[in-house]
Amino acid sequence: MHITRRNFFRFMGAAGASVAVRPPSVHAWQSQAPPDPFGCLVDLTRCVGCRKCEEACAKVNDLPEPERVNCQCTIFEKDRRPDDTSYTVINRYYTGTVDVFDKPVPTYAKVQCMHCQDPACVSACIVGALTKDDTGAVHYDVSKCIGCRYCMVACPFEIPAYEYYDPITPRVMKCTFCQERISKKGGLPGCAGICPTEALTFGRRQTLLGVARKRLKENPGSYIQHIYGEKEVGGTSWMYLSSVPFEEVNLPLLPDTPSPKLSETIQHSLFSYLWSPVLLFGVLGACMARFNRGNDQKQNNADKGGA
Amino acid sequence: MMIKKIVCLVGLIPLLAGVCTARAWQATDQERARERAKEVVPFVKEYQDDCQISRRICLMDAGVSLDDVKEVYFLLDSPIIKEREDHYEPVRFAHKRHAALVNDCSKCHHFRPRDENALETTRCSACHQDSFNPDHPERIGLKAAYHQQCMECHQQEAKGPVDCTGCHLKHVPDHKELVKLPDNPDPIQVTKACLECHDTQGEDMLKTAHWLWRGPSPYTTGHRKDILHGKGTTALNNF
Amino acid sequence: MEHKAGPMNRPLWTPGVLVMLVFMFAGALAIIARFTGGIGYVTNLTNARPWGIWVGIDVATGVALAAGGFTTAALAHIFGRHYYEPVTRPALLTAVLGYTFVVLGLLVDIGRSWAIWKPMFHWNLNSVLFEVAMCVMIYLTVLYIEFVPIVAEQFKGRVNLPGLLSKLNNLVDKVLQVADRILGKVMWIFIILGVVLSCMHQSSLGSLMLVAPTKLHPLWYTPLLPLLFLTSAIAVGYPMVVFETTLATASFRLNSEMHILAPLTRITIYLLGIYMLLKLGDMLVRGTWVYLLDGTYQTNAFIVEVLFGVMLPWAMLLCKTIRHSSKGLFTAAALVVGGVVMNRINVFIVGYRSPLSENGYFPAPSEILVTLGLIAALMFIYRVVVTYLPVLQESKEVS
Repeated sequence: MHITRRNFFRFMGAAGASVAVRPPSVHAWQSQAPPDPFGCLVDLTRCVGCRKCEEACAKVNDLPEPERVNCQCTIFEKDRRPDDTSYTVINRYYTGTVDVFDKPVPTYAKVQCMHCQDPACVSACIVGALTKDDTGAVHYDVSKCIGCRYCMVACPFEIPAYEYYDPITPRVMKCTFCQERISKKGGLPGCAGICPTEALTFGRRQTLLGVARKRLKENPGSYIQHIYGEKEVGGTSWMYLSSVPFEEVNLPLLPDTPSPKLSETIQHSLFSYLWSPVLLFGVLGACMARFNRGNDQKQNNADKGGA
Repeated sequence: MMIKKIVCLVGLIPLLAGVCTARAWQATDQERARERAKEVVPFVKEYQDDCQISRRICLMDAGVSLDDVKEVYFLLDSPIIKEREDHYEPVRFAHKRHAALVNDCSKCHHFRPRDENALETTRCSACHQDSFNPDHPERIGLKAAYHQQCMECHQQEAKGPVDCTGCHLKHVPDHKELVKLPDNPDPIQVTKACLECHDTQGEDMLKTAHWLWRGPSPYTTGHRKDILHGKGTTALNNF
Repeated sequence: MEHKAGPMNRPLWTPGVLVMLVFMFAGALAIIARFTGGIGYVTNLTNARPWGIWVGIDVATGVALAAGGFTTAALAHIFGRHYYEPVTRPALLTAVLGYTFVVLGLLVDIGRSWAIWKPMFHWNLNSVLFEVAMCVMIYLTVLYIEFVPIVAEQFKGRVNLPGLLSKLNNLVDKVLQVADRILGKVMWIFIILGVVLSCMHQSSLGSLMLVAPTKLHPLWYTPLLPLLFLTSAIAVGYPMVVFETTLATASFRLNSEMHILAPLTRITIYLLGIYMLLKLGDMLVRGTWVYLLDGTYQTNAFIVEVLFGVMLPWAMLLCKTIRHSSKGLFTAAALVVGGVVMNRINVFIVGYRSPLSENGYFPAPSEILVTLGLIAALMFIYRVVVTYLPVLQESKEVS
């Protein structure tokens, strides 16, 4: 091993300088949610389980027609998840409530991408193929995707699905929030447009929060007093109201901290402007210079390889 | 039996005949309902936020009763809904019948316009128009208003359909394309053509009161009290 | 300490190698199936379970076990303990091969293998995976550069390419000469860079799961995850060297290098101790010990990992007699290696809980075959390289 002292100090000077010019502090983590995103309020007390949203979604997004569109008899027997052929599904849950005739009352719950305010998938995506745009939609750009599926690992709602049977060009499939449609004035997502009972209310997220609060206030007893998605993982564009506990309709209990906060804080405080690697390089360089000083002569002729 | 079935379906002739014999006859109430369905009335922005009980009292005070129901039935076919989508046939809503059965106008006429000159009862589409109106975010659209109102009540009362085709007619294809009839078909020919496809409906028909009724027919002139008439016994059916 | 590494000059085709070839062949078939039928065709991966053993073992474990490369380089070259230089070359070779197979494993695992270059142009600086990918990419290059002198040493002045290529003999020889001369002067940069890059991505590999707080079992999910990954990688470095050197010397019937390995593991006592302290301390501070006796298979996996992969070998290493017996040392080293392997598998597979769907995942046979095939290929190339290049220490045969 061979370091001339001059070389070393020249290099250290450069390294030191780059550490010194590093702007003073690493910023505290900040939400990057768009200022006034669209959202959708799902009111489970209004959903009648007609699955028109599934049908409309498939049509709008050129997906295959959902299983048994016109027959709701057996489809609800299995718990379904959105997959590579459907961006949204409706599930039925019997949570123990009965009506006046002692018949169990079903609760239907729609599942789709929640379009988080600070999406874990967007933070995770290695190439930035997933982005949160101003409409609030979490948008997937297939042309950047490499198929690492880290977004699927990151998503707390287990939403992104994968075309596992496509060997060469598989895509990540998830609800698009009909981004193109809602970018146009007056445009509605396919599902919200078709919903016969307005179990899906589309609008600005802020407005919807007001609507939701009003509904909770004006119908005491009909709802769990909580807007699911207002604060979960830092807030989501899609929000739910329900008369039964949210966990019972497969909406997971989640912390209020945005998922990417911890990892992004760690990454940025360690690696912004590469200060820590440069520093480490400097320290190790100094060690190397110090510990090898006596050996320089001896090592000159000795084996150089075998690093 | 076959003949009996055929003849009973003669009752359906006007429907088909309407298709076949270019506008020979039109149901006037149907036409009126159709015209009415096309109207879009001005949007009511402000409404009186009463509770249901005071609303009921108001309606009673105003003396609104069954006699005020001028239109027996409505066709729910508003352009407000059709502007966005047109997946289903319109719903025929028997207004008077519902009014008589429910006997509480405030169930549907749950609010009134704030404007004092306005009528006590307003049509649904005055307040409920396009969905997701950002100026009135809490106001549901017309389609949702219909569905919520109808389905909730049907469920609560355990009466009336709650599935799609219970109220909406299926999109009926033009039968001129499907059925070939001679120029001046007789009733039997028509019924036969119907039964070629709708044989189960023909069977079902035989189990209904329309087929089996034995007793007085209070709304049929001449049969009001005669218990020997009724469809199950008259010669017409046994033709 | 004078030492001289040399080619092994032993017959290559031994029964062991043939077994490796069988696995390689089976793995190759499975890989062909993956690229014709899709990932779903050969794996048990689902939408709820997007990462399986190809990530948990081929990538995460591969990276961890290649840590011998940078830890020995740091020790021998940066901290000037030249006594340990004989083990740097095999460790470097392990690292080169380890990372090469990490990349090969990734190519099989990612859906759009042909797009693997895209992260170079589409940056997402928030993404932990982006940083890992960049580091791995650069580090792999650094590793190859560090390996050039070994190739140069063997072939300088006697380049003899077959057939038509022989016309290039002079040119290749020139290139080797020049590369060797230049590298001799700047190698220190690459050595330090290698250590820096390793520290970066070894820790970031742990940060990968931080983005999914609800999906990793709390026994493993901790803000310290990157630090734990780094310290465990550093701790496993020397035991891995012990492990593979012992295997290699046994396989080639060389003198065991106990005089180097025994003191090497003395350092491990401290490194592994730090890791153990962090891991246990973290468990106590966060109070996750409450899960320890709940009997789920995740918890049991954690207990096995910590007990047999960290505490037991640490206790063994404390004992001088074990350190100086080659069997004892090998056992302890193997346990440490096993513990780290298990830790990576636990973090990426066992501890991963899909919150809404069924949680079961066991790799499909063809999935396992790909992993085994890659490992076999790695071992095969290791054997080929040490046979023809000066990597292992030449010594008297003990036949």
